[in-house]
Amino acid sequence: MIKNFIISGSGGQGILSIGTVLANIFMLGNKYVTYCPCYGAEMRGGAVNCEINMSDEELLTLQNEKADFVIALNQTSFDKFISKVKEGGTIIVNSSMAKIEKTRKDIKYIFAPFTQEAIKLGNIKIANSIALGVLSKILGNLTVENVKKAYEKILKNKKELIQKNLDAYLLGYDYIQEKEYA
Amino acid sequence: MNEKNLLKGNIAIAKAALECGCSCYFGYPITPQTDIGEYLSLEMQKRNLAYVCAESEIGAINMALGAASSGEKVMTSSSSCAVALMQETLSYAASDELPIVLVNVMRAGPGQGYIFPSQGDYNQATIGGGNGDYKTIVLSPSSIQECIDLTYKSFHLAQKYKNPTILLVDGLLGQMAEPAIITENPYPEIDNSNWRLDGAKNRTSRKIHSLEPNQNKLNKHILKLYQKYQIIEQNEPDWEEYLCNDAEIILTAFGTMARSVKAVCNFFREKGIKMGVYRPITLYPFPYKRLRELSINAKHIIDIEMNMGQMLRDVRLSVLSNSQISFIGKPVGDWLKKEEIINTINTIIKEQYASI
Repeated sequence: MIKNFIISGSGGQGILSIGTVLANIFMLGNKYVTYCPCYGAEMRGGAVNCEINMSDEELLTLQNEKADFVIALNQTSFDKFISKVKEGGTIIVNSSMAKIEKTRKDIKYIFAPFTQEAIKLGNIKIANSIALGVLSKILGNLTVENVKKAYEKILKNKKELIQKNLDAYLLGYDYIQEKEYA
Repeated sequence: MNEKNLLKGNIAIAKAALECGCSCYFGYPITPQTDIGEYLSLEMQKRNLAYVCAESEIGAINMALGAASSGEKVMTSSSSCAVALMQETLSYAASDELPIVLVNVMRAGPGQGYIFPSQGDYNQATIGGGNGDYKTIVLSPSSIQECIDLTYKSFHLAQKYKNPTILLVDGLLGQMAEPAIITENPYPEIDNSNWRLDGAKNRTSRKIHSLEPNQNKLNKHILKLYQKYQIIEQNEPDWEEYLCNDAEIILTAFGTMARSVKAVCNFFREKGIKMGVYRPITLYPFPYKRLRELSINAKHIIDIEMNMGQMLRDVRLSVLSNSQISFIGKPVGDWLKKEEIINTINTIIKEQYASI
């Protein structure tokens, strides 16, 4: 089974970092995975996104029209990628930086104030990890062990951030238990 | 070593180059291949190897020519419009018989184009833009693992045949990441002590240059080069066949395009249509012979590329003169989607074979 993901936001929100973490989690779970960053003349504050594809079989299609899951960490990316969610797919939106608005009936919405939650944890930059935690909860089959290993791989030069990001991830993971994801 | 890691194509190429003993790198930054130079700038310094960020691409390839003359394992990397600048020196290196590895991570052209991915440099690589009768070996990977394997092979073939070799990479592959393993370099070292310029102490002096004012000698030199090219064409064609044995329709594609094309093939196979995919891995020497054999039973060949039909010419030269050939292509940007290709093939099939 193939699953496609788009992670989007603005430069500086850790979009590509969290994309790499997710791709590593899949790799550590012995899945086939491809990770394509949107590259270009991007800068802090500019639009950034990446596409991740995961499968049990060899991945043949690298760039897809639509995704099963979209994470949008700001208003611009919410507006831009809402149309890219597959019918029956899910969009996870950072309600601290985007208006709660449900324009489509054929997809699932999850709104959570990732930026505010990250500030509560003491670091605005880990909003991305909270969002990844929410996504993990929905996917259901990622082991915490692999998540930890993935963070250790990505943050091997910034070891002090590993635990903070894991805490944020776990907060996200438990977040929608309370809010009920339907 | 032998650990699976999520690697970007550019980084995979740089790591593989170090692994197989690249001792000199010269380059100038250009998207989408700048990661190669960036990575090597740190790593080569650590290993006490030669790294120069040149003043231009012309500088870089000529430094590579000089280092290759002295027997170093040398690599340069660039992209499309800047590889165009290097053509003169490729012709010199082919005549001088120097093993230079050039990585071209393709972007969109013509002219300066932009940084969108594309496969528009097939002709530039396989036919070449330098003067005179010469050929460059060209390899085309379709996955990150192949970026590694074919980097090893590029160095090997360059050394084996003393010929410039191009690793032609889609911009998409340079930037994308996939799990891959930095395997051990499977190729043996090739002794170059009988030609390299390493000081003439205790031996007669040597010279490497392409200038030859004696026309008999120049003719002889070019004929010798062409004997070498014949051996390359005999021994080195490499390709991948996917479900081709009973195929009535054969799709041809190179690089990452071949992956979506395989997905298209699977779609039609499920519908009972006998389809196969033929992917040349060496673009020069192009694997003509096998495609010609396959075209005897195939009703139709459909070539699919992210350009306006450059490999199409080689496909035409491969197949029987009465083969039906169609082309599906797009110049630059987002890769042709599986669905787009399927729709176009459906139209082609309907037009040609109302019965299917």
